Amino acid sequence: MTNAAATHDESRPPVLAPGATYASVTEKISGLVLSRTTPRWWILAFAVAFLALQVFLVATAYLVTTGTGIWGIRIPIGWGWAIINFVWWIGIGHAGTLISAILLLFRQDWRTSINRFAEAMTLFAVSCAGVFPILHMGRPWLAYWFAPYPNSMSLWPQFRSPLIWDVFAVTTYATVSALFWYIGLIPDLATLRDRALGRATRLIFGVMALGWRGSAKHWHRYETAYLLLAGLATPLVVSVHTVVSFDFAVSIIPGWHTTIFPPYFVAGAIYAGFAMVITLMVPLRRLLKLEDLITVRHLQNMAKVMLATGLVVVYGYAMEAFMAWYSGNEYEGFMLWNRMTGPYAPYYWTLLFCNAGVPQLLWLAKVRASPWLLFGVAMFVNWGMWLERYIIVVTSLHRDYLPSAWGMYSGTLWDVATFVGTLGIFGVAMLLFVRVLPMISIFEVRTLVRKPPSTHRVQGG
Amino acid sequence: MTAALPVAARLQRLSRTSHVVGLAVLALAGVGAYVANQQFLRSYLVAFLFWLGLGLGSLALLMLHHLVGGRWGKATAPILAAAARTLPLLALLFVPIAVGLRQLYVWATPIVPETHHAPVHHEVYLSPAGFLTRAALYFVVWIALAALVTRLGAAVAATGDLRRARWLARVSAAGLALYVLSMSFAAFDWGMSLDPQWYSTIYGLLFIVGQGLSGLALVIVALYLLAGEAAFELADRFHDLGNLLMAFVMLWAYISFSQLIIIWSGNLPEEIPWYLHRFNHGWEVVGLILVVLHFAVPFSVLLARRIKRRGRRLAAVALFVLLMRQVDLYWIIAPVFQADAVRLHWLDPALMCGLGGLWLAVFSRALARTWSVPPPRGGNAGRHRPR
Repeated sequence: MTNAAATHDESRPPVLAPGATYASVTEKISGLVLSRTTPRWWILAFAVAFLALQVFLVATAYLVTTGTGIWGIRIPIGWGWAIINFVWWIGIGHAGTLISAILLLFRQDWRTSINRFAEAMTLFAVSCAGVFPILHMGRPWLAYWFAPYPNSMSLWPQFRSPLIWDVFAVTTYATVSALFWYIGLIPDLATLRDRALGRATRLIFGVMALGWRGSAKHWHRYETAYLLLAGLATPLVVSVHTVVSFDFAVSIIPGWHTTIFPPYFVAGAIYAGFAMVITLMVPLRRLLKLEDLITVRHLQNMAKVMLATGLVVVYGYAMEAFMAWYSGNEYEGFMLWNRMTGPYAPYYWTLLFCNAGVPQLLWLAKVRASPWLLFGVAMFVNWGMWLERYIIVVTSLHRDYLPSAWGMYSGTLWDVATFVGTLGIFGVAMLLFVRVLPMISIFEVRTLVRKPPSTHRVQGG
Repeated sequence: MTAALPVAARLQRLSRTSHVVGLAVLALAGVGAYVANQQFLRSYLVAFLFWLGLGLGSLALLMLHHLVGGRWGKATAPILAAAARTLPLLALLFVPIAVGLRQLYVWATPIVPETHHAPVHHEVYLSPAGFLTRAALYFVVWIALAALVTRLGAAVAATGDLRRARWLARVSAAGLALYVLSMSFAAFDWGMSLDPQWYSTIYGLLFIVGQGLSGLALVIVALYLLAGEAAFELADRFHDLGNLLMAFVMLWAYISFSQLIIIWSGNLPEEIPWYLHRFNHGWEVVGLILVVLHFAVPFSVLLARRIKRRGRRLAAVALFVLLMRQVDLYWIIAPVFQADAVRLHWLDPALMCGLGGLWLAVFSRALARTWSVPPPRGGNAGRHRPR
């Protein structure tokens, strides 16, 4: 059996391409940062992202000076694109935390090539997400009223509202993610400090490395801190999107108020997150020539996680639809009927096609092993998950209990501009990250070098 | 191989004993079926759902293991497979529920009370014919899956055939999807429809996670008992299993709490009665017991490495979790019939034991056949990798 397992493992692509050595790994990853020449594609991509960032500044300035009326939100649809984007962005972040924390606890060593990158993605996605609810308040400068602090206005948050839980959930998430990411970076920052040629570079990395010398004591403390943070981050994978789902589910709007929402939202978040990691990873590994470190094995594994979480999401759709019918509840039934045949029906069917249809291709091993096919599927999921939130937010609100209060919704140019703007924030941050920090954990990947292919899988295929 | 013999013999003996005890208790309970027909069926349903959970939960964990691998599964696969082989028996044990359909389910009674306005859809979905057809379908799916997965698994373990191993993974992936779907609808049919007005989209997951927890707890207890003195060398395996047990305990709490908080906040007349029944007349005490003993205590205890690495302590926790699984199912099912008070009938424990006797008999006989390999301790010690 042991032999069988060993042969079986060899039949799978290795985590690292053969031939990697300690020196080659360090050279490769730190070279990306310390190189003095910036690739042309990077400058081009940065220019585009930077332009989008300017769009964000313009859109936000106009919004703050004029009011949320410039967006398409009007009663009965008070939430609109802002909340759709919020849920979309925050969902994307979840893949990073899952990869860095849960896969660490599960001893999945393949995660080491992608965790740093995915964590960075989490941080930037959470920043983009945080923008929307704050802007959506209309008076973003009063956002601090959400905090429970003693004041002379008898102002106190409503702790029964999940919107308040959101504030705590998201800020905790951002804090722990940032800490986790930074602590994981420290040994690599020291490597960069030691390898940097310029004085200024050495100084900057030196300050950021917090005096790391790689002594046994340092490593011991590092390992303990990292494991503890992984333990702390694990519940956050579930809690944040659960609270986001409560934003909807604790209300009594048909299509929002349903008990499957928490697990279904969490699965959807991980689904969207992995889709985004694949979307970014496939072109980047090609452009930065990192195919030896981020191998087909990584893409395959991510595709499998995507398939599994995608099926949970489909299960959520199925349960919602079944109960709408089974309950015999007039409003639930109408909600479903309205989604399938109402004015937003094309969105609904597109979402099903993107989220439930196309990803079934991932059952095929060939698709999982082909980076660009995978990229295509991931793009469908990115789009599908955005549409899913659109359907949830808009169709439930636009026709609820009272037909006299029905209305229609569509986003305006400024909605689009704000969204494109956050894509700009994300793009700029991501590009700067791959240029100035090691996007793959050097010291963790070194632990994989010269080891036989993973022996975690002892049985099965 | 010499060490394997006493274990097989012990299992055979356990099989015979539990068979006899199970039949005897069931015969006694059969008297109850005459004296208190309705109560018999109600107690029977809870007992059936509990033992079904052990069989199905084990099947699901087995498929999960064949899909994702992991050392925890290698040590426990024979146990999981033996538990999955009890599904034909469970199909047989479903017969009394099918026969007593009209006494058990309001929607199946010929005279519908005035207060009960059945939605039109229920006439299609919740009809005796539909109910029985679906039940037959579920069991066909489960038994076929169990047979396929256990046979393929045994073949792969014996020959190490790569092609078949890949097949096994594929069957397991599809099988898990089928299991989740079929068990959800089974939960709607057998549990949720007891109160035909009430519905909750997470209800299926509540059962699925409960079954996974039951299967895992069973495996821990069985592994400890089978390993005997070797349990000491299996500390790493117990540690893994203990972590998984904790994860399932948390998942169970998560799913249960999600349902509670959403329905409580909505406070809608079609949903809240389910909790009102369970928050009054003594049922709230059972609910609190669940919060403390099904979640808080096992969770806190399982944080400790000292507990998880010792087979004996972990098995004790697992046994306790199995007990709590029964309380949970009782809390989910029984208040439908007796919302006014918690009344434990003698048939409740009697049927739990009776069905359990038969289940254990089949389980241990199946295990006696496959447990010829001693627990995988030697092989793993050398392959152990730090962290």
